[in-house]
Amino acid sequence: MVGLLFLLSLAVFFLFNLLPFDPARLTCGKVCTPQLLEQNRHRLGLDLPPWDQYLAFVRGIFFGRIYAPDQPFPIVCHAPCLGYSFLRHAEVTTLIARALPVTLWLTLGGFIVWITFGVVGGIVAALRRGRWQDRVLMTVALFGYSMPSFFIGLLLIFFVILQLQWLPFPSASAVQAGPFANPVKFFQTMILPWLVIAILNAAFYVRLTRNQVLETFGEDYVRTARAKGLPERTVVVKHALRAGLTPIVTAAGLDIAYLMGGAIITESIFSLPGMGSLSVNAVTNYDLPLITGVVLVAGIFIIAMNLIVDLLYGFLDPRVRIG
Amino acid sequence: MVGRSLREIVWARLRRDRVALICFAILVVMYLLAIVGPYLLNALGYDPYTFDRAAISNSGGQPVLPNGGIEFPKHPLGVEWGTGRDIMAQLLSGLRISLIVSTSATILTVLIGTVVGIVAGYAGGWTDQILGRLMDLVLAFPFLLIVLALSGVMTDRLTAMGVPEGNTSRVLYLILVMSLFGWPYLARIVRGQVLSLREREFVEAAVAMGAGTPRILFGEMLPNLWAPILVYTTLTLPSYIGLEAALSFLGVGVLPPDTTFGAMLANSVSYFQVVPLYLFIPGGMLVLLVVSFNLLGDSLRDALDPKAIH
Amino acid sequence: MAGPSLRLRVVSLGATAALLVGACGQATTTTSPSAAAATASPSAATSATPSSAAPSASAAGTPQKGGTAYVLMTTATSNGDKFTDMDPQRIYIGEDIAFFSATIMRTLTQYKYSADLKEGTSLVADAATDTGTPNADGTSWSFTLKDGMKWQDGSPVKCEDFAYAASRPFSDVIVNGPTYIVNDLKIPTNADGTSQYPGPYKATPEQQALFDKAVTCDGNKITYNLSKPVPDFNYTVTLGLGAVPNPKDHPGVDTGEQYTTNPWSDGPYMIDSYTPGKGGSLTLVRNPNWTDDGYRGAYPDKWVVQLGLDPQVVDGRLMQPNGDDVYALEYGNVQTQNLSKVFSDAHTAAPAFAGRAFSDYDPYVRYWWINLDKVPNVKIRQAMAVAIDRDSIRAAAGGDFYGDFADGLIKPNIGQDYAPTGWATDLFGQPIPPGGNLDLAKQLIKDSGQAAPTLTFDYGKSPTGDQIAAIVQSSLQKVGFTIKLNPVDSGYYGYIGDPAKQHDFGASGWGPDWPNASTVIPPLLFGAGKTNNASDYSRVTAANSPEFVKAMEDAGTTLDRAQQAAKWQALNKQAAQQAFIIPNVFSLSQVIAGTKLGNLYKWPAYGSWPYAQIYVMQ
Repeated sequence: MVGLLFLLSLAVFFLFNLLPFDPARLTCGKVCTPQLLEQNRHRLGLDLPPWDQYLAFVRGIFFGRIYAPDQPFPIVCHAPCLGYSFLRHAEVTTLIARALPVTLWLTLGGFIVWITFGVVGGIVAALRRGRWQDRVLMTVALFGYSMPSFFIGLLLIFFVILQLQWLPFPSASAVQAGPFANPVKFFQTMILPWLVIAILNAAFYVRLTRNQVLETFGEDYVRTARAKGLPERTVVVKHALRAGLTPIVTAAGLDIAYLMGGAIITESIFSLPGMGSLSVNAVTNYDLPLITGVVLVAGIFIIAMNLIVDLLYGFLDPRVRIG
Repeated sequence: MVGRSLREIVWARLRRDRVALICFAILVVMYLLAIVGPYLLNALGYDPYTFDRAAISNSGGQPVLPNGGIEFPKHPLGVEWGTGRDIMAQLLSGLRISLIVSTSATILTVLIGTVVGIVAGYAGGWTDQILGRLMDLVLAFPFLLIVLALSGVMTDRLTAMGVPEGNTSRVLYLILVMSLFGWPYLARIVRGQVLSLREREFVEAAVAMGAGTPRILFGEMLPNLWAPILVYTTLTLPSYIGLEAALSFLGVGVLPPDTTFGAMLANSVSYFQVVPLYLFIPGGMLVLLVVSFNLLGDSLRDALDPKAIH
Repeated sequence: MAGPSLRLRVVSLGATAALLVGACGQATTTTSPSAAAATASPSAATSATPSSAAPSASAAGTPQKGGTAYVLMTTATSNGDKFTDMDPQRIYIGEDIAFFSATIMRTLTQYKYSADLKEGTSLVADAATDTGTPNADGTSWSFTLKDGMKWQDGSPVKCEDFAYAASRPFSDVIVNGPTYIVNDLKIPTNADGTSQYPGPYKATPEQQALFDKAVTCDGNKITYNLSKPVPDFNYTVTLGLGAVPNPKDHPGVDTGEQYTTNPWSDGPYMIDSYTPGKGGSLTLVRNPNWTDDGYRGAYPDKWVVQLGLDPQVVDGRLMQPNGDDVYALEYGNVQTQNLSKVFSDAHTAAPAFAGRAFSDYDPYVRYWWINLDKVPNVKIRQAMAVAIDRDSIRAAAGGDFYGDFADGLIKPNIGQDYAPTGWATDLFGQPIPPGGNLDLAKQLIKDSGQAAPTLTFDYGKSPTGDQIAAIVQSSLQKVGFTIKLNPVDSGYYGYIGDPAKQHDFGASGWGPDWPNASTVIPPLLFGAGKTNNASDYSRVTAANSPEFVKAMEDAGTTLDRAQQAAKWQALNKQAAQQAFIIPNVFSLSQVIAGTKLGNLYKWPAYGSWPYAQIYVMQ
């Protein structure tokens, strides 16, 4: 875990900081003479050898960092310092802290919708295996699974907002303010993004849940439970689903982790000020400190989720627990 | 022996599956269109690069005729806003690029994933450990972001390495980057399969008979892996089609005047309030393509599953 | 030379994929402010008559105080999802100068509020009592400050604050912004042409003394001593010289690089909160220490700028405004697909939008530069110029909403410096129709004594940019050129300003800084040799065009304004004839506002909204 984090930080840092963009040039401005460029490099700490730059970066995470203390108006970046965006005049952690709640709400709402529809749909399909309910659900799931997210998003915007005018235009500021400041506007804005994320993922979970339930139905302990004469509901929920939950949890954990790093396309289409928008913006503006910071944080989510999923795994699966 | 009879069962099952057959037919047509379509259209006088100044208005640049300038037989699917280029011709050239990228990337992904999976599974020990960590690391990268961030630089680097500049290096970049971030999924599946195969009698027999490692790996094991690999391939291809579209939607794609589904959809956003067809034509084509692949992949998986209940 | 900043955004009409914000790599660059000048003489090149958008219907009535006005800023502007700068020395985007000078920033002189082209670009006093007094030869200018001006904390605005402002552009801490003052002030330079004064933050006492001699304060009177005659220096002070609290009286207020996010106000409003980025906003509230200056109306009690909005969404919100959007105006452009709904033709709003939608000339000229070092053969350059299909390009960018075909770098609305160059009629001996003259192009290539070369075209990546590039490519390839396209994802102007990266030819745009072609010809056609990142993408130097450079220097120091104008006209014609540049269009732009704002019009000074005059109808 720690090793992986270290590797990730190393890979991310060198991948982006050895690119031939010159951040010093980007912030050099008007009369950019070679001397000014050199001065600017010094100010950004780019005159150090790459390895020292990496060390300064890591040290900044733990102890904070002051850029060019020998210059007028040195820039203080507080621990945990992931860098300072000279283009946005802000610490990378501040920018991430502002974007993260938006992405959190997006992920959370989307997750609730997709897991509900996915699991319920999957169980229904499994219980009605082979009948029309199953076929309809599986067909819908397949189409949902096959639609590129940006196309779903554009379709929703076209029909729901532009043609039918059921919802107003998305409001990034309402999302930024959170669900408690202006709940109506917040939900009006978030409902379509949630749907996009949900459609995309629910389709996969319907199939996954159906297969899991069908598989566990064949297992001895479920057959035993049935033979004992337990009600069908108890059999499904307590036995079949419980055991079948493990792969669902694994998949959900990873999906959440990826989304927390920024649902780039969904956020772009709906203009949500989350991690995805932040990172795309950083990329198009060559804002290296910001790119490095965002990618690192996104990677941390994935690694941490893997760990959590591993822990849950033992907790959920009766076979693993007994073993 | 085992392999052949399974193949027969699978083939028999597939032939009975009408959905699978239809999808297969659609995909064959799509590939044919991608290969010969542009030449055919050219012969018929449709060209994705020709500007039709007469088809667009002088004030605002919108198509003169309604519904995006649909006009039989000149522009059966309409023309592009602002330039008057033929949508049908653009669609076919987009289809070609989309299939080139997704098919090549899938082949490369499957190659890397299979080789790494077999090696990791068979060698075990340190090799397995290191390859496993590598997979974790690759999977921990926010893929889409990396592709966006590196596109310009890596394309330049490919050009510097002698790849012809322009679309050749851009397409190659897409293929490489998709494969380089896509292989760990298959590698994990293959590794798991190899772990169980390693303990099977025929492999032990081969080892006992003194067969060399390459012969065991690729002679004995590979033929037993084709089922999961095939299923994985048919499911990866459509996801790469979607991915390529998403990337060109985000602006990482081919150079103008060439275009792709994603780029056409990105452009449609500026005009679809007035001309909704700009959204539905490339979007519909994209969905048809991906759904066909997914349905076929599904059928294939069912057909290959010995436990499948029909 | 002015730095790399005076630039036109390349993204305008529908150039960004909307609802896809920030993703398609808009070239976020700085836009030039512009003061276009008097007497528009409609020429052969500009067929349509400029309509001065008279404030009508909704603007009638008496301005009222109170209410909140909203500005909806789209991501398709040069600012992207934030204000690039709010530091008075760094602001360099026309719309931003208009907005901040109306609200929180005072300069010595400014332009009159009027929709009329001539009136709206005439100079008036703002912080000064008049528009300035030069000495006999124009090498020294004095201004007297008005009495009773106060900072937002109630302390007086002093002459020293204006002098301090003039010192900051010398510092490398203050990036961006105009640099005329650095070139104009009488401060010795080093051998390499840089100033001996390093700005207020790093100056030794001796170095500071150099500046203190150049800019002097005598009570309320500020005097700028210049190194050469600058007959229009009173225009220079409208740009980038707003006061900043000097550190002796206000220690700790100027925070250097950071000041741009939190500047002090000496105007009618002050910053209440600022959150940059998508979903963010800038809120201005009344400055309690403000007293009426007779120049600004300052009617609303509050201004809220919503940042990072999608252009299609803003159009949609304002076309049928609900709630607070009736008090909102668009900072950005009406998107192509909505033009035919909002306007009945390229100069008139549709009846439903009369008085709140405007399509009018902005200060900008769009053109293509050709790098003289890389394409030295004049016949080849001329062949490129006459072969480009400007008609299709204009259609792709919005047709007549995009603008009128240009005939040079100088736009007619600058006034006396413009004269028709005959580009389309006889400049090349034959008429050049809008679709290009391919026969002439082929002949020119034949005459050039070389084969048509392979050239690379630089442009800022956007859907419309891609379409235009494809047209440039196909029309030049018709006469034998091979054209490679090089879309630049972001930071386009920084890219082409870098000689190591720039290719053979590319797209650009420009608006004058004030009504004198001295802010057009020299910055666009000279300076690459002097500063690394100059706006002279054609790279005209004393080496490759000695006569042109000499004539340009002569025109710049000509004191007689009429004579100077004749010289600019000749240079403009010569640049077009030598194909240093290929003119594209004199552009128009389109904006829209909600239904409950009064005094709406396009202010010709900056091609912007007249923020200080707008009021909220209650």
